[in-house]
Amino acid sequence: MNWHLTPAEIRAYAFHTADDVTAMSVEAHLMHCPPCRGLLPADEDWIERSWSELRDVVDRPRAHPVERLLRALGLGDAAVKLLAATPQLYRAWLLSTVLVLACALGAAHALPSGSLVFYFTAPILPLAGVALAYGRGVDPAHTLTSVTPMAGQRLLFVRTCAVLVPAVILCTLAALLMPAPTTPWSAVFWLLPALTLVAGSLVLSQWAHLSLSSGAVGLLWLLCLTALSGAEHLTPLAMVAPHAQPWWAVALAALVGALLIRSRMRTS
Amino acid sequence: MKLFRRSRRRAPSFGPDSSDPELLAAVAAGESDALEILHRRHTPWLRARLRYRCSDTDQLDAALQETFLAVWRNAGSYAPRPGDTDAGAWLWTIAIRQLISQLRKRANRWIADVDPEPYETVGDASAEDLVLLNIEHGPLGAAMHSLSPELRAAIQATVLDGLTVREAAQILQIPEGTVKTRVMRAKARLREALT
Repeated sequence: MNWHLTPAEIRAYAFHTADDVTAMSVEAHLMHCPPCRGLLPADEDWIERSWSELRDVVDRPRAHPVERLLRALGLGDAAVKLLAATPQLYRAWLLSTVLVLACALGAAHALPSGSLVFYFTAPILPLAGVALAYGRGVDPAHTLTSVTPMAGQRLLFVRTCAVLVPAVILCTLAALLMPAPTTPWSAVFWLLPALTLVAGSLVLSQWAHLSLSSGAVGLLWLLCLTALSGAEHLTPLAMVAPHAQPWWAVALAALVGALLIRSRMRTS
Repeated sequence: MKLFRRSRRRAPSFGPDSSDPELLAAVAAGESDALEILHRRHTPWLRARLRYRCSDTDQLDAALQETFLAVWRNAGSYAPRPGDTDAGAWLWTIAIRQLISQLRKRANRWIADVDPEPYETVGDASAEDLVLLNIEHGPLGAAMHSLSPELRAAIQATVLDGLTVREAAQILQIPEGTVKTRVMRAKARLREALT
């Protein structure tokens, strides 16, 4: 650029006293001359105000991918935040689930009747997650969340779902990696018992603390399996055999029905 | 747990004296401080220039706000030519289009907002820009002075602001056909005066 605007031209332009042709000339020059642009008077107060408004929008945290996915699925804002925040509480559990499943898989492949280990543990793992998802002892924000309108059964159900989905996915993956399932379906036979156990502990949580009721249900399951392996004509695999599935389905339906009736009575 | 935390993209280092492309690269990497430097550097002249197109300061400030939000969201799409140190022209195209969309919002508040469609520009802007750079100092100055204000406004919108005919019609609030004829007439006058 071989010429620059005179201070008079800049002042006339900035204070809107320049005539059309001068203004056009100044603008054409400004587009190509950053130094002259810098000479324009700046209203510091206005810039400060304008930036503080911008900063409010710009500094808003970006939504986590999980949050965006859930929002795309049509969930409300509150539920999305809650679901996205819950994994922070049970990451340790998720990690231990992976470890336990890996051990069970290892045992199934290495030991002669090792697949029993998997059938012992797979239904318990989602239950343990549910037990750890909510409650005084596990949630550091429990005293805060317990006084929110969402607290109680609703929060419990939402968190249970948040725990169940990853647990079921992990267990299904592990089941598919089991050595030689007789049919593809036999890999998911543990699913109904697992859901029934979770529903049972949720029903029990009406009277006892959730961790306690989950512990009781889990213990019951293990006792049944031990008793069965001690019995002469039965094996623990009878609990997850195809002909046992209808019974599990009936039990699950009954427990879910009980839960629904109870929450309906709560709200009415 | 550190294991799960997303590692932040490393932003290029920048300072108040960095060039516009460097700052925009930092903005694209999520640095709001870089946006603040750009804001401070470019709002004064953008605001002064927009004020010649719109006397309503509320709309003007809203348009500027939207401009920098658009920069924040789309900084990654800025592609400087090699050796380019100034993003003024890029910022101006965003700002003038934001102003037009503000004006349209005000005008058709009851009509559904339609997205602006690409439309042909009138004439070769860059060649005329070069001539305009020397308006005051060249023979074009006198020729421009002799133009009527309507013709000057049409030339200003299409050549100087780089708007499409449709956008120019919106900002001048005249039909598109009128913009075309005015630009044609203005160019004929200028050619006549210069030869």
